[in-house]
Amino acid sequence: MSTQNDVLVVGAGLAGLTAVWQLATQQKKVRLVSKGWGATHWHSGCIDVLGYYPVDDPEPVASPGVTLAKLIADQPEHPYALVGVSGVEAALNAFQALCAAAGYPLHGSLDKNWLLPSAVGTFRPTCLAPETMIAGDLRRDDPMLIVGIKQMVDFYPNIIAENLVKQGVDAAHVTVDLPQLAQRNFTTLTIMASLLEDDGLRADLVRRIQPHLGPARRVGLPAYLGRRPSLDIKKDLEARLGVAVFEIPGLPPSLPGMRLHTILLQAIERAGGRVYHGLEGVGIERDGERVTAVFTEAAARHKPHRFERYVVATGGILGGGIVTNHQGQAREVVFDLPVTLPESRLDWFEQDFMDPKGHPIYQAGLKVNQQFQPLNGGSQPVYQNVYAAGTALSHGEVIRERSFEGVALATGFAVGHLLAKNAQP
Amino acid sequence: MRKIETEVLVIGGGATGTGVVYDLAQRGFKTILVEKRDLTHGTTGRYHGLLHSGGRYVVKDPKAATECIEENIVLRKIMPHCLEDTSGFFVCTPWDDPAFGDKFMQGCRDTGVPCEEISVAQMLREEPHLNPNISRCFRVPDGSADSFLATQVVAEGARQYGAQILTYHELKTLIREGDRITGAICHDLVADEDVTILADMVVNASGAWAGKIAHTGGVEGNVRAGKGTMVALSYRIINTVVNRCKMPADGDIIVPIHTVSVIGTTDEAVPDPEHFAIEPWEVQLMLQEADKLVPGFSEMRILRAWAGVRPLYQETKVADTRDVTRAYTLLDHEKRDGLQGFITITGGKWTTYRQMAQVTADRVCEKLNTQRACRTHEEVLPHPFEPGHNTYYHTLGARLARTEANQSFGSLVCECELASRSDIERAINEGEAKTLDDIRRDVRMGMGPCQGGFCTLRTIGIWHQLHKLPIEKANVALRDFLQERWKGLLPILWGAQLKQERLDELIYLSVLNADHLPGEKASRLGPAMYEKGTIEQNPDAVI
Repeated sequence: MSTQNDVLVVGAGLAGLTAVWQLATQQKKVRLVSKGWGATHWHSGCIDVLGYYPVDDPEPVASPGVTLAKLIADQPEHPYALVGVSGVEAALNAFQALCAAAGYPLHGSLDKNWLLPSAVGTFRPTCLAPETMIAGDLRRDDPMLIVGIKQMVDFYPNIIAENLVKQGVDAAHVTVDLPQLAQRNFTTLTIMASLLEDDGLRADLVRRIQPHLGPARRVGLPAYLGRRPSLDIKKDLEARLGVAVFEIPGLPPSLPGMRLHTILLQAIERAGGRVYHGLEGVGIERDGERVTAVFTEAAARHKPHRFERYVVATGGILGGGIVTNHQGQAREVVFDLPVTLPESRLDWFEQDFMDPKGHPIYQAGLKVNQQFQPLNGGSQPVYQNVYAAGTALSHGEVIRERSFEGVALATGFAVGHLLAKNAQP
Repeated sequence: MRKIETEVLVIGGGATGTGVVYDLAQRGFKTILVEKRDLTHGTTGRYHGLLHSGGRYVVKDPKAATECIEENIVLRKIMPHCLEDTSGFFVCTPWDDPAFGDKFMQGCRDTGVPCEEISVAQMLREEPHLNPNISRCFRVPDGSADSFLATQVVAEGARQYGAQILTYHELKTLIREGDRITGAICHDLVADEDVTILADMVVNASGAWAGKIAHTGGVEGNVRAGKGTMVALSYRIINTVVNRCKMPADGDIIVPIHTVSVIGTTDEAVPDPEHFAIEPWEVQLMLQEADKLVPGFSEMRILRAWAGVRPLYQETKVADTRDVTRAYTLLDHEKRDGLQGFITITGGKWTTYRQMAQVTADRVCEKLNTQRACRTHEEVLPHPFEPGHNTYYHTLGARLARTEANQSFGSLVCECELASRSDIERAINEGEAKTLDDIRRDVRMGMGPCQGGFCTLRTIGIWHQLHKLPIEKANVALRDFLQERWKGLLPILWGAQLKQERLDELIYLSVLNADHLPGEKASRLGPAMYEKGTIEQNPDAVI
């Protein structure tokens, strides 16, 4: 383990956590500070790499690896172009190995996208899916039963099944009553996940599903099969029901996403890295072209963090790393780095919320060089020792592309590697 | 083609139209109201929600001021459950002429608007966010009004008296036989079929659309549209209506209503009540003026912007002026144009809707040679779904108190506005909702900070689960509603609200993949968008 403070990462989404994980496992002294939890808690818990390309093509990408090469050729400024297909593959492989070792395997590869049912019954393309979801594979033709619970307001099996049927899938639905939940003020996904640790509730759930099974060979449930990264609840339900069980991710917060967060946190802590949620990065101290400290604020204390190098992984507009105002300006909140964005606020949006190409403002972000150093307008890095990763980078429409986790994971991984490998400049 | 006969046909489902149909039904007429979308789809659902004390008009238009205070008192009696008794301030900011304060006081005395000057210190105790450099403050009995609920209760009252209310019935043309209007042909947007409605009298209560409607009967109404843009702050930054103490101007009022504060408004003539833009300079102007009343307003989280169209009436013919005031206009087309069976009521304010309805119904009685007295000022209106709750004012904490009393936290479908599953189910089962937007007007789901991020899926799911909405319609209704929310967000998306919208994209596109739902992408019941704004029209605007 290095004795000096090597790297400070700001931001605890997939990009920041992955970078710290890589640095810590390579014996660097690293610290991660973040305002709160990252986007893992909002997303599906799968790793989307490339689901639609071109983004307005209604057909999902069959092979993310093949199409990724085309995207990189078309868009040399895209974050994926910084890492290349091989960089994406290296990140996926390492992450899959980590999750498998944690007892929560992610399945899939760049060769082929999964098509999994979404919580409104559409076909959702994704590259890596946890074992808790893959029995939902829509390329299989065995019949499925989607099961909701009357006491939950976040999951509607009727919509899922009816839309799947419309698209040729053999799907049925049922909403079961778990009267013991009526005594509770809330039955959210997270509460259900905790309750399902209890053998009695699992038995009762199974008892209420069984009469409706019919020809179904697999059962789709809301993504509440445990808070921990584990397959225990899924396997127990399968053994009792006698058919495969799969999760369907829906409205946040996302338990499958939190499981990935947990896996990364545990790996970082095992390797000696430190993660501090609740420390918001608010500014820096500099000496010429070097940043000498990042300041965080918590409990009314302005605290400096002095490291050799710094990584911005605070996300874009969604993550809060980039903030916009009514005068049409955008600001990177910790280092005040220049943000690439449309010149006039009038050009920020298209007229349709679901515009197939996306709203130009969401491509706002940090423009970096091949070493992930944010640039100052032209081709010069703003600081010698500041790097950026994840969706804070400009030039990707990560939601339309369905590349949100892929971009975060691959660039976080690459920055982690780069800084672990390179001697201090 | 379906054919219906009635005594009086009322066109327009805003405050005026529903007020007229209620008054007529109460007087025993057989009536039908047609509205092209849902009730309050037009201007009534797009204003800032002010219950006027009349203070705004005491200097410029004393007659209007007197009408406002008279009706203010009546409405507090007949629909307290649709009102919040916020009271109102008129304040002199450093940008206003201090001498206007004395004119204002005198105007209030002359017109009967109760007014009391309070110290600035007292004002700041009550509303600490107001500009401390305000020099004078006058208290008047302004309030805020839920114009969705109010229109709904008036419509419910009308139904109880036997009126028929046909929403999503768009007027295609008036039927004219010689010198008489005998009814109208409407298009039922839901069934996608035409309906003929024959009536002894037709009342045109379509506000800014009155000219267009009259035109289909071969008369020119000379009603033009004046657009007003409003901006809602995501917080209740004040609990009192705050007006600038000066002549009426753009951005001179902030109204606290439900969970938000609304700054209004601009006043721009537009050629068509259907097609106009919210211009960026209008939003900037609202924020700039709001900062003068509540410093820092423009840096806070802005939730939404919308625009409504006021009817601007300009008479060019020699008209019957007996009932004409500067506040509203009753056009008797028999006297004005020699056309029988047709009258138009237009102009006015939400606060005076009942008086307008009374004057109109009086004229209908006269035309139909009968005398029946008005009782709308005496009868307390029903509460559409909580019987007995129509005797006291609405308060901001009412929904939370109800949620706590019922311990219904877990069944909240819209956490922002505290709308529960049973509220949604009632709106679906008992209401006449055709779109999610109709349910929104009923229960306020989707109107809070997340703008439908979570409750859109839930409401569609419940609606579909109740077997009231086939899957194809559920899919497009979900998309229509997200687009409807987007419509009002576009002019104000920056900062925290932009972040929120990206989360809503993450949910609906990335996680739910709702952009690839089978079926049509938008329905004919979907929102009509504002046009894209330009900066050219006001080169001084800071964008």
